[in-house]
Amino acid sequence: MLETTILLLKENQRNLFQKIKGAPILYFFFSAMMIFSVIMFGFLTLFLLRTEYEFSFFDVFFSLFFLFLLKSAADVHNLFIKSSQLSYALSTQVSHQKIIAHVFFSQFLINMGLWFFFSTLYILSIFVLNIAVNYPLEYLFITIGMAIALLVGPVLALFFFSSNRFRLVPSLLLLGFYWYSHEVVYVVCTLPLACLHLFWGIHHGMESFLFVKRKERVKERRTVRSQNILSALATREILTLWRDRLFFSFVFTAITTALFTGYFFLYGADILIPESIRSLAEQYLPSMFVFLGIYIVVIYTAVFPSLNLFLNEEKTMWILHHLPLPKYTIVVGKTLALLLCFITTIPFIAYISIFIGLQQLPFLIWVLMFSFLAGVIISLPLGAKYVGKKSDILLFYAVAMILFIVAGIAASAGKYLTRVTIYWPLFLCSILLVELLFLWLSALLSAKILKSNVLQI
Amino acid sequence: MITISNLTKRYGKIVALNQVSFTFENSQVIAIMGENGAGKSTLLKICAGILPFNQGEVIIDNYSLTKDSIEARTHIGYLPEMPELYDRLTGREFLFYIASLRKLAKASQIITELTDITGIKDFLDYELGSYSKGMKQKISLISAMMHAPKNLLLDEPVYGLDPPTSRTIQDFIRKRQGTTIIATHSTRLVEQVADVVYILMRGNVVLCDKVQTLLKKYQTIENAYFRCKDLQHA
Repeated sequence: MLETTILLLKENQRNLFQKIKGAPILYFFFSAMMIFSVIMFGFLTLFLLRTEYEFSFFDVFFSLFFLFLLKSAADVHNLFIKSSQLSYALSTQVSHQKIIAHVFFSQFLINMGLWFFFSTLYILSIFVLNIAVNYPLEYLFITIGMAIALLVGPVLALFFFSSNRFRLVPSLLLLGFYWYSHEVVYVVCTLPLACLHLFWGIHHGMESFLFVKRKERVKERRTVRSQNILSALATREILTLWRDRLFFSFVFTAITTALFTGYFFLYGADILIPESIRSLAEQYLPSMFVFLGIYIVVIYTAVFPSLNLFLNEEKTMWILHHLPLPKYTIVVGKTLALLLCFITTIPFIAYISIFIGLQQLPFLIWVLMFSFLAGVIISLPLGAKYVGKKSDILLFYAVAMILFIVAGIAASAGKYLTRVTIYWPLFLCSILLVELLFLWLSALLSAKILKSNVLQI
Repeated sequence: MITISNLTKRYGKIVALNQVSFTFENSQVIAIMGENGAGKSTLLKICAGILPFNQGEVIIDNYSLTKDSIEARTHIGYLPEMPELYDRLTGREFLFYIASLRKLAKASQIITELTDITGIKDFLDYELGSYSKGMKQKISLISAMMHAPKNLLLDEPVYGLDPPTSRTIQDFIRKRQGTTIIATHSTRLVEQVADVVYILMRGNVVLCDKVQTLLKKYQTIENAYFRCKDLQHA
């Protein structure tokens, strides 16, 4: 009875404990940030109530609903669709549907646990802030909504990775109905329909598992020849990014982020800020939107690939370790591949200049370059330290938070320099040069960490 | 030549290798046998420079693995038990990549020769992610041998290979000049190619002898292995 569920829950728990044991400082930092974020939401609630800003209950509900929908879809992808360990359970006499149901149930329990933990923390924080907490019906509705998200999300993941993607249509129609109705009660009433969706998903679940596991022979004919060491290392990274279609995704992100940033730069204050405090926010809000746009692009094109230079090498690191190469050469060779990632950010600059004009462009390019380099400087040693922790979202989150602070301070300081001196281009270039020195130090540190991974006595 | 002195490796509280010492002479084929978890793969990983150890010293052709790591690794070729490769590279790209990192002259010629021998030539332009286990094994074997290393470390070299390739590999091991260390469970492979056999149990060397001597005494290496195991239990 529920063997697979119990096993998955145990594995989940042990993985978490092992990660905490392996990187206690990082996890302490992350936990502190999470709790801090929830408490900040409490303060935000207080602030909005004080400014008499009327926020829509449905918007809050739908944001949470969407978050849990994505989380459950990702969990089912990891626990079932992509999982290779599950092959053992699926090869036993137990029916496939039953095992898939067990997997779904485990993700349901994990995510509901998270919901209750964070919602309780939020309620406690607003209780401490003396905000009246007496919305039992609303809480019940949101909880049922979260349960519906956890039932529909897995079905979306299943059919997205299936040969018959048209099966996604009913789920998408259901989501469309939720958005169109704009009523929490209507969403809650569809609980039986969501259950039906889940049964349908479980019934066809095995198709997705088999579809993802199919092996296709991919032929790539390319003139190959010997290269020098650095270019060989960089070329391998570039080939992987290219074949995983990541460069396209970087360019796409840069363009769409620029368009959204530009839109918010022009109209953000009118859309998002209550009229009572709009005049106060109007001075700094457009610059903040541009900074956030740059930050998102840098996170995607610098932090993500530079962390993955080593995080993705879980089982293949033996290749580089057993070759007669200095670790510093390995780090530099891999880092060179990031030059191409930087080129993918150029469309951001091109598109954002349409909205903000050319005058601000040199400073914007500087902020982008600074943030990109800072992202690489922070990510390299952490990636080298945690080689193989492939999808460690916590590590990614920690790097993102550090970068936010560093880039935020630098952008403010840079902006200040442009106001107080006419020689600001000289100062900004000097800062970039200093940053290059830090990049070199970061590469040295990463090499030292890599070396200590294999030659500790 | 590989000299190992008082090597200790611990995984937490478990002692994988307990102060073991070996001298692997030139032009010898040395087989390391032992039950699962005896420390065979650990020993090879340490010699290949991919696993840290707690105590002791490893000298490869007069170079210390800790002090002169790069020079030591220049003289090593290593085939892991389960070769994990870069899935998005083709076989050809991978071999040229290794050749570039090893600064190999005449890489193209060497790769053509070795891929002909192992029968993988027709699959060189396919991505490694689509290779079968045996094909991955062949590609890794080529990458381990392409720079003609003085010391070759092979972890289960014929496991997963088809019989003709397996025979070719055995012939190659027999004919080569340098030191070859094989970690294996296959008593047949040991009988056919090895000069000396070491049996490890729970991180300790419990037997070290010439294969011919053991064959005279026990008829087969399997008999020798079980005799050794019985003595340990007694």
